[in-house]
Amino acid sequence: MDSALSLRAVTKRYGTLTAVESFSLEVARGTIFALLGPNGAGKTTIIRILTTLLRPTSGTALVEGHDVQRDGREVRRLIGVVPQENNLDRYLTARENLVLQARLHGMAPSDSRRRIDELLELVGLTGRQHDFPDTFSGGMQRRLVVARALVHRPRVLFLDEPTTGLDPQSRRAVWEYIESLKDSMTIFLTTHYMDEADALCDRIVIMDHGRALVDGTAARLKERMAHAHVYELQFRANADRYETMLGGFPFVRSLRRTGDTFRLCLAGEEYLKPLMDAIGNEDIRKLCLLEPSLEDVFIELTGREVRE
Amino acid sequence: MFKGAFSIWNRDMLVLRRSLFTELLAVVASPLTFYLAFGFGLKGYIANVEGVPYTVFMAPGLITMTAVSAAFDESAWSMWFHRKVQRTIEAYRVTPITVYDIVIGKIISGFTQGAFKGVAVAAVIFLLTGFRVTVAHLAGYLAFIVLGSMIFSCLGTVCGTLLDKPETIGKVQAVVIMPLIFMSGVFFPVSSYPAAIRGYVTAIPTTALFEGSRVALLAGSLNGAYLAILALSAAVAFAGAVAIFNRKIEE
Repeated sequence: MDSALSLRAVTKRYGTLTAVESFSLEVARGTIFALLGPNGAGKTTIIRILTTLLRPTSGTALVEGHDVQRDGREVRRLIGVVPQENNLDRYLTARENLVLQARLHGMAPSDSRRRIDELLELVGLTGRQHDFPDTFSGGMQRRLVVARALVHRPRVLFLDEPTTGLDPQSRRAVWEYIESLKDSMTIFLTTHYMDEADALCDRIVIMDHGRALVDGTAARLKERMAHAHVYELQFRANADRYETMLGGFPFVRSLRRTGDTFRLCLAGEEYLKPLMDAIGNEDIRKLCLLEPSLEDVFIELTGREVRE
Repeated sequence: MFKGAFSIWNRDMLVLRRSLFTELLAVVASPLTFYLAFGFGLKGYIANVEGVPYTVFMAPGLITMTAVSAAFDESAWSMWFHRKVQRTIEAYRVTPITVYDIVIGKIISGFTQGAFKGVAVAAVIFLLTGFRVTVAHLAGYLAFIVLGSMIFSCLGTVCGTLLDKPETIGKVQAVVIMPLIFMSGVFFPVSSYPAAIRGYVTAIPTTALFEGSRVALLAGSLNGAYLAILALSAAVAFAGAVAIFNRKIEE
């Protein structure tokens, strides 16, 4: 049995809404796996099922071979969870938060003391271990949540959008901790940041509307877009007018704007000429062909519209 | 078994120890004010009640009221805060402990705080006033306090589990808990009610609590019927709180 995680035809319904539909997945041990998808795609539902917080409507979910419904307690012994929101206990110090976690996992005090010292060192909070989390920055709180998830040496670590809301330095620090763990456990990650998945993960699944759309390494997913024609287009003036115009072309499959620069994906090479004919060239400062990114793949698969 | 419940209780006691002085100050202020205002302010207007001075009649009820109110407050607000604000209940739920550990830990925390604060008020009333008790009567009185705190801790847990808005918990306290306490014999004997409604009032578990605890402390006699009502109510409240929490968490 090499799978750390196994989902077999898992469906979750809330009344008439189907959050996850017949979703199947095997994640090998020792993998850093990313589940990507827009808001409401079903990522968090899957994490909640795998961490025993939700029961699937049908199907089977296994963690290290243990059924999450029949053997939830054993599953929870093997997993560490970093939720989307920091759910630290603000009335306990950083160290006390970790001690409570160790107690809830039934660890012996002598073992937990050593382990907590190691983790505080790892996340750079040794000097602040007797302070309350409310006095920490967002990055420090996040690091403490990661440390809490690791106290009992889990075999599978779930990270639900671990770097949302962090500044770039803190994001990099969290990435470093995750990378340092990769040899000792399986890591299951959801994120909105494509660069995060690209930099960290051995395998990526993009899902939407409760179903898996693609599965592979970042490089393989980007290869899917090799046929796609991604261009960067920069205007000298009237960027707003061009944004409306570009958004209206049926052959523009994705469009992202940064200031007066647009990154757009055309449905085919043959559409470049009609595009140039339509927008003219008097306001164009720069036009170049780009390598597709993971974000291009994501937008291509899940569409451009904003999700609630 | 229940190591998880003990860990959660231990966490709550650690937090309580940190704010012990302010907690005690807050919890003692209200019953002591009642005691001084009613006991001494109305002393000239109220003769003996059921054969004892009014200050003596009122003291057991005030101590019991402090204990059960504290049990309700702690359980309701703690459960709500850990569920809705800190979301620590979710952090507990991804550890190997069971939902029974969580709810039992929280109920016992509420109960402990109730009992502890009741003792604090008793000590203050004892030190500052002439109220004295017979030591031999304390065991029976504590039996009532334990059962009453358990019932109110379970009720608080149910409120903290079901109610999402903090103002609704405040409304439950104002509309349900306070009338239940005030109308059940803290400040006047149940015999003061008109005969037509006395039977109904006597059947309310809080009447069993306040009347029973007062007689246990002042006269040293245990009313078996009252104890049975309280034991049954505590068992039902406990089963209800655990079932409701379990069901809500599964949603």
